[in-house]
Amino acid sequence: MPRFTYIRPQTLDETLHLLAQPQKRSRLLAGGTDLMIRLRYAAPDFDRIIDISRLPELKIIAREEDSIHIGASVTYTEILESALLQDLTPFFVAAARQIAGPQIRNQGSIGGNIVNAAGGADMLPPLVCLDATVQLASKQGQRSLLLTDFIEQPHRTRIRPEEVLTRIIFPAPQPETNAVFIKLGRQRTKAISRITIAAMGRTDARGRISFMRFVPGAIAPRVQRFTAVEERLLGELPLPELFRQAGEEAVRVMNALTGGRWSSDYKIPALRTLTQRALAAIFSLQSI
Amino acid sequence: MSPSRHGARYVGQPAPRVDALEKVLGSARFLADITLPGMLHARALRSRLPHARIKRLDVSPALAIPSVHAVITNDDFIDHGSYGFPVKDDYMLAHEKVRYVGDAIAAVAAETPEAALAGVQAIICELEPLPIVSDVTQALDDDAPQVGPDRADGEHPNFLSRSIVNAGDAAAELNVADVVLQDEFSTPHQEHAYLETEGALAIPTPEGGVVIYCSNQSPFINRDNVAMALGLPPELVRSIQPPVGGSFGGKDDLNYEASAQCAALALKTGRPVRMIFSREESMVASYKRNAMKMWVEVGAQKDGTLRVCRFRGLLDSGAYASESPFTAWRASIHAMGAYRYAAVDIDVTAVYTNNAFSGAFRGFGNPEVNFAIEQMMDELATKLDMDPMDLRLQNALRLGDHLPHGQKLDESVSLVQCLDAARQKSDWDRKRREFARHNASNEIKKGIGVAALFHGLSLGAEGADYAGATIRIDDNNRIILTSGFTDYGQGSRTVFTLIAAEVLGVRPERIDMLRPDTDTAIESGPTVASRATVLGGNATRLAAANLRHTLDLAAADLLGCQVAQLVRDEETYIGPEERPIPWEDIAAHARSLGLQLSAQGRWQAPSIHWDHNAGRGEPYFAYHFAVQVAEVTVDMGTGQVQVDDIWAVHDLGKVIFPQGAEGQVYGGIAQGLGYALSERIDYVNGYLQQTNFDRYRIPTAPEMPRIHITLLEDALSAGPFGAKNVAEPAMVPTAAAIANAVAHASGRRIRHLPITLEQVLLGRNLMRPATADRARRGLLL
Amino acid sequence: MQITFSLNHQTIEIDAPADITLLTFLREHLGVTGVKDGCDVGECGACAILLDGQLVNSCQLLAPQADGREIITIEGLRAADGGLTDLQRHFIDDGAVQCGFCTPGMILAGEALLAKNPTPDREEIADALAGNLCRCTGYIQIFDAIAATARERQAQTTTGERP
Repeated sequence: MPRFTYIRPQTLDETLHLLAQPQKRSRLLAGGTDLMIRLRYAAPDFDRIIDISRLPELKIIAREEDSIHIGASVTYTEILESALLQDLTPFFVAAARQIAGPQIRNQGSIGGNIVNAAGGADMLPPLVCLDATVQLASKQGQRSLLLTDFIEQPHRTRIRPEEVLTRIIFPAPQPETNAVFIKLGRQRTKAISRITIAAMGRTDARGRISFMRFVPGAIAPRVQRFTAVEERLLGELPLPELFRQAGEEAVRVMNALTGGRWSSDYKIPALRTLTQRALAAIFSLQSI
Repeated sequence: MSPSRHGARYVGQPAPRVDALEKVLGSARFLADITLPGMLHARALRSRLPHARIKRLDVSPALAIPSVHAVITNDDFIDHGSYGFPVKDDYMLAHEKVRYVGDAIAAVAAETPEAALAGVQAIICELEPLPIVSDVTQALDDDAPQVGPDRADGEHPNFLSRSIVNAGDAAAELNVADVVLQDEFSTPHQEHAYLETEGALAIPTPEGGVVIYCSNQSPFINRDNVAMALGLPPELVRSIQPPVGGSFGGKDDLNYEASAQCAALALKTGRPVRMIFSREESMVASYKRNAMKMWVEVGAQKDGTLRVCRFRGLLDSGAYASESPFTAWRASIHAMGAYRYAAVDIDVTAVYTNNAFSGAFRGFGNPEVNFAIEQMMDELATKLDMDPMDLRLQNALRLGDHLPHGQKLDESVSLVQCLDAARQKSDWDRKRREFARHNASNEIKKGIGVAALFHGLSLGAEGADYAGATIRIDDNNRIILTSGFTDYGQGSRTVFTLIAAEVLGVRPERIDMLRPDTDTAIESGPTVASRATVLGGNATRLAAANLRHTLDLAAADLLGCQVAQLVRDEETYIGPEERPIPWEDIAAHARSLGLQLSAQGRWQAPSIHWDHNAGRGEPYFAYHFAVQVAEVTVDMGTGQVQVDDIWAVHDLGKVIFPQGAEGQVYGGIAQGLGYALSERIDYVNGYLQQTNFDRYRIPTAPEMPRIHITLLEDALSAGPFGAKNVAEPAMVPTAAAIANAVAHASGRRIRHLPITLEQVLLGRNLMRPATADRARRGLLL
Repeated sequence: MQITFSLNHQTIEIDAPADITLLTFLREHLGVTGVKDGCDVGECGACAILLDGQLVNSCQLLAPQADGREIITIEGLRAADGGLTDLQRHFIDDGAVQCGFCTPGMILAGEALLAKNPTPDREEIADALAGNLCRCTGYIQIFDAIAATARERQAQTTTGERP
């Protein structure tokens, strides 16, 4: 007696129709890496798997006017092989490249990374930097949410049982915007992120910082912009002393958000260092 | 043996591994790949508590499940299934109490693995918790909970063994030494992490016996254990080793238990029974490298001459003794390092705790003590303002020296050559200077460090050290070779094949090695202690020489000359008339003369003696010497350590199988790298915190440094073609070399492995919240 | 459920249980034992297969996900004449095999790399193997085998020969 059934719909519409069936507890399968781990450790809390990993509507990577659209079932490999994304958001591509191992990159999906919303999910910080929104579809229609509103806490999002996350959308970054993604893990193959930082910045004609996004990952319970750090930087000249102060600010924000954790004694000095390095990298680059 | 017209044709020449073909085809049948009709699947019920009395054990609910065919407990074994050597303290299934999380209590055979698991979960097992010992430094306290049984000799029940080495008057030397340094070190448990987990397959035979397929290292020990546990004569138990997916010392004890459990279930059900461990079950239940705490004191003259070493080691044997008394002994022998001393006072004591039990793992006590003593050498060098290489060169053992233990080193002592070569190839002196300059003003620092070692070859005075091999030519002129030694990837089959080929004067492709099999092999002790090349190689050499002699007689007869007049040219025999005769013709002629084309060879290691009470004697009949240098980049902003290069200079006497030797060095360094940097094991209240590769991090391909290998050949006369060994020494010094390099880079001396980000950045480790859940859950996966 | 897929160049139509991994399905239901179980959590790569040419861990897929796809395991990797491929030959010749348990996954990882990047440098080879653990070899000779194969294939491309 199988513990659950499996179905692979051919279209998004079919998928939404299946999800709208109230009597079935369904679970969506995109990349599946989180699902498979969970299945190993606990009995399934669903009766049916709906495989959306190959839905054509969820596999797009495209520029639509000033926005980039990425389908939820796009894999990390597809992200890092996309000429469009390499050109426009190389730091986002860098995040995908550092996901541990080709097998996981070939299989894991960006939508899965978002919906699973692990505290250390690597793709979230760059997406938050990019002011990404997520598009959700159901038989009732479509809705969009800011990514930071969509994720409530680790492993919980505002997705409804009958919904599919279809796309991630963000505005194409302005030219002359530099961005970095730094990942610090226990080893070079950094499967378990200990700290990540995604940051974007731009200076104006006078050389002062005119645009800033600073989003650490695996640092706070929810992935979010450290706006206090960004405000500290805006309007200033990008100099090492400023970066040092920004590092202190980042640590202050982290402590305020997390209180003391078992890992704080390490993350404090490390975050301080990585903040400075991220900012130095952004403001010494000529262009993205 | 008649001379050849060429130098060594096979030994020392590039050769393919003899069993590589089936592995690249994917057709090698590892244990989990063997499925038989009617085969049942077995699963063990394992303790969820680290220390408990078994109050009640009722297996009837399991038997009530239709697809469960049999359940066994220790009542199904003779003498409760007690086994173990040198201390018989373990059981095939737990007897009266469990001593660690993962201790097997009962075993179920069922139609499917899922049904077997359901059977395990249905068993009623009431455990009454007992207080635990988790900290090795508390194990011998008066009020420590008792893990081990009562002792008649007045020692603490948790005391297992003490190994000492004594020379001179250490206390007096420490008193008068110009410089005395003291320090404390610790090394953690290490998981073997073979890619293939444990398991066994038992097939009942029509005569009431059992055939066992098991990835064990020692088929004869397995056979004898199973025979004893089942009350069968040894002739009715056959143990065969299929291809094994890595062992590194780890596939003994728990595999013997699995074999006995499957054998008992097979005999009870009349069907083949197979047990395969899941990764989590393997990590939780299987034995590890012992953790050690070490206190080291060294005294020296101000000119750098070492005078004295005092060493105290506390070895965590965990729940059962396994090999720990032997590990502790080897640790004590090597604790002072490869140097001359006027006095040594070494004591390594092994104790029981309720952590998972410790057993053999590559290096067997030497990596642990090497980590301590080689860092002490560097600390001493710093104190004396000497270069670490120079300090070692000044004190390194040389040919003709006496070990502090008393033994004279008569041959094959090339430590100084190893040091010189490592120094030169790594560009040591320039880097020591330049990195120091660079580090003064950079956050990303560079360091270079060295570690030297000696490693006694084979079992030492621990045990009976002998081996046997057989060889024969079958009717198709295939040459069939057997050995009691096993090959779990380290290449012993190829080494033996090359030796036999060389001695016989035939191409290696003509030789087939049978799988290790108690039916066909000659018992040769365990495949451990890097003894396969010398012991097994010599036995093979002798067997081949005996067979060769038969061929020589036949050739002399055919060519009408004396044996002494024969010459070999590749595979042919040539007599006075200079006409080459193919060896197949010689073999055919031998048959026609009525000669048997088969032979045996047996080799006994030289006799050596160790006085356990005095702590003096000859611990081993030969030693491997080596040096490794590590170059690292240390990011002082994050604590990250990257190993950029390792230079490994090893004297292995004679390289028989070049790619195999290199592969052993690369692989050993990789394990040393993991031991040094990433393989963290925490037992918290007896519960393992790292239960799969997600948390237990072994080195991956991108983490490998550039490795530069130099193999020296300072021949050992007792070794086949002068060969010694390399398997274990390859990983002994790696962690110490890295730690010394990290100290050079960062100024931070890291005394506890692994060298984590936190230790480098903060000077101490952080502990994530511990849980019993991972380990408990792992037992049911 | 009923699925149809290509396994090592042969079409298979079969009923696949929905709730088992593709690894279990290949090993236990189809007898493809060259795919190994090393950890079951997608960390070790011993179960790696080529799925439509992409390297994936079969323990992280459900059996029905094979439907409509092309799967290659080590058993399906053969030269045109049915013998060893050049990469398999180099694994033997260059010392890349010790215990052999990781070998099927490693060879597939090597093939997946060379299909995308015929001229990888050492770092790219190492990164391509980041999801395949080996405990015996220390990886170095595996790098050598893949690099040698890449060089050989490039030379043949230049001269127009095919293995």
